[in-house]
Amino acid sequence: MWGSKGLGAGLAGAILILLMAGGAEALTKCLICHGKPTLFKTLPSGRVLSLFVDEKQLKESVHAARACTDCHSDITAIPHKGEIKRVSCIRCHFKGNPVGAPQKDIYVEYAKSVHGVAAAAGNTKAPVCQDCHGNHNIRHPKDPASQMNKAHIPETCGRCHLAVYGDYRESVHWKAFASAKRDSAVCTDCHGEHTIRAHESPESSTYITRVPETCSRCHASVAVVGKYGIKTEQVATYGRSFHGIAIKYGGKTVANCASCHGVHDIRPSDDPSSAVHIENIPRTCGKCHTGANVNYAKGKIHVDPTKREAGLVYWVSLFFKWLTISVMVGLTGHIGLDLFRRFRRQGSAH
Amino acid sequence: MAGERNDNRDAAGVEAGLRESLKRELEGEIRQTLEAELRGELSQELRERLVARLKAELSEEIQVRIARIKAELEAEILSRGVPVPTLPPPPREFERFSMNVRVQHIVLMVSCLILIITGLPLKFHEARISQIFFDLVGGVQMSTLIHRIGAVGLIAVGAYHLFYLVAFREGRRNFLRLLPTPKDVRDFFQMLRYFLGRIEEKPRFGRFSYVEKFDYWAVYWGMVIMIGSGLILWFLETSLRFLPKFAADIAREAHSDEGLLATLAIIIWHFYNVHLNPEHFPMNWTFWTGTISEEEMHRHHPLEYEEAMAARTIRPPLPGGLPETGALAADPAVRPPTREGMQPAAGEKSP
Repeated sequence: MWGSKGLGAGLAGAILILLMAGGAEALTKCLICHGKPTLFKTLPSGRVLSLFVDEKQLKESVHAARACTDCHSDITAIPHKGEIKRVSCIRCHFKGNPVGAPQKDIYVEYAKSVHGVAAAAGNTKAPVCQDCHGNHNIRHPKDPASQMNKAHIPETCGRCHLAVYGDYRESVHWKAFASAKRDSAVCTDCHGEHTIRAHESPESSTYITRVPETCSRCHASVAVVGKYGIKTEQVATYGRSFHGIAIKYGGKTVANCASCHGVHDIRPSDDPSSAVHIENIPRTCGKCHTGANVNYAKGKIHVDPTKREAGLVYWVSLFFKWLTISVMVGLTGHIGLDLFRRFRRQGSAH
Repeated sequence: MAGERNDNRDAAGVEAGLRESLKRELEGEIRQTLEAELRGELSQELRERLVARLKAELSEEIQVRIARIKAELEAEILSRGVPVPTLPPPPREFERFSMNVRVQHIVLMVSCLILIITGLPLKFHEARISQIFFDLVGGVQMSTLIHRIGAVGLIAVGAYHLFYLVAFREGRRNFLRLLPTPKDVRDFFQMLRYFLGRIEEKPRFGRFSYVEKFDYWAVYWGMVIMIGSGLILWFLETSLRFLPKFAADIAREAHSDEGLLATLAIIIWHFYNVHLNPEHFPMNWTFWTGTISEEEMHRHHPLEYEEAMAARTIRPPLPGGLPETGALAADPAVRPPTREGMQPAAGEKSP
């Protein structure tokens, strides 16, 4: 028993050493060509593709111990024969794989995401794993140097979504993030990661009726936005507004957070270029309410009638509260006395 | 059954005949006495007053005698072995609400129910039952559409009621009787003393008690608030052309709060006083039939009852002397007993 176990362990160790040695040997071999920064090829589209592999980068990546052909499995000879295909990560990253490559259920969601569906439909521009996670430079997302680290996500997504990235860089979310407020939202906080959907899809976290829920993940949480002095009551007041109630019960033509505040270029209300700056409110409301004028800016937008700062609305609310209480006390009192008299009379009749 | 009816008809014929002959006989006597004994010494005015008083006494006398004759006839019928009617006489019915008022009330009721059912889920949008409701009717858009149908009903009945108050004699008469008076305040305090057992006499109400007047005028307050704020919210874009946004916020707050107050007042106060109190539980059908029994009329509206009774027996201001027997039967305020049971009451007319 002990002997066979020891033997097994020894064998496994030997194979591992061989593999690593083989990997190192192969890397050296591959780098004869691919170690040259000037190595490139011109694609049929005319695009120049660099074939340079930075050894240092590779050595620092999570795949440092892997051989080139572990991923580039279609390369069997030098010079390479046939078409060199894109690397497929699922060769190792599947559940129960023997090499211990991490795999979570959520990765599978990629197949249903807007990126995965497009890629499966043959769109070569649609990103696959390595487009976001990196190829030779792949690192754990928690590693600050990873292109999937929160700090680098806008940049990584922006490589394809350039215009959106431009807008986002102007937003209060990026400015807050850049000033070390690391809770601030980057792309994936709103859009999701592997689950990312087109905003027209009802499953998307940015679908019209799901925007309030998505924003409220941070903006309803004192633990998140409270730290930075941002009020969480905006979520509650929106929920009580006609917009909020309608959207909760299936209204698709009412305003969600983004309708007024903007999408990627959300700016604080004191910024004159903000959609919710007091000067811009008529125009912003006018997107839906034809003929919106300055009257739309007269009064608090996220109004809470129970708060004194709501002004007249607060006093009206207070008036009705006490009117209702006093009237109902009076009326039920009258009823109570009536019943008291009726039953007392009935009792005394016996 | 047929024999019984014939006897009744005979009795009625005898009664009418007697009435006529008695009247003629007694009037003749009065005239003779007056002519013979007074010979114009008394002024015309005094003479007339005397005649009126005598006539009143006469009328009572006639009734007493008729009752006696009736009893005698009944005894006679009984002695002849003819079975007397065993059923108690059907209750006399008083018309409380005309068809016009009943239709108004039903439109108001249906509109309010629609508005409450579609309004409350918006106010209590966080409740589970609101979710169920919106799923049931097919979303918030359908719910607001139904709410606006209810609103049209409410506005229509409100406008029609104002027209009714001006254009119909009945409307004007009811309105005058609905105006608050110092008596209502006294009635209220008397009612409290009665409730507490300090006195045994309930206040004596006329056509409308202070409770009914409160209900009526509360609807005015509710209509002004609900229709006013409701229209601002319905035609929001038009309203905001003239009003600041906080006015719409106030309208929304008032609409929501007054809606709840009205709902509570209807469900607790109005329902208790009309339907749920031990006397009428579980349902008072007067809103549908428009009538109340003589007994109820006497108990809840004694002053109105007495007024109606007074109009029925003696009418001194009428120049034609004593009311004819036919006129008595046709008196719209009093419906004579019928064997056919309840019938829709004829439109009320002022005496």
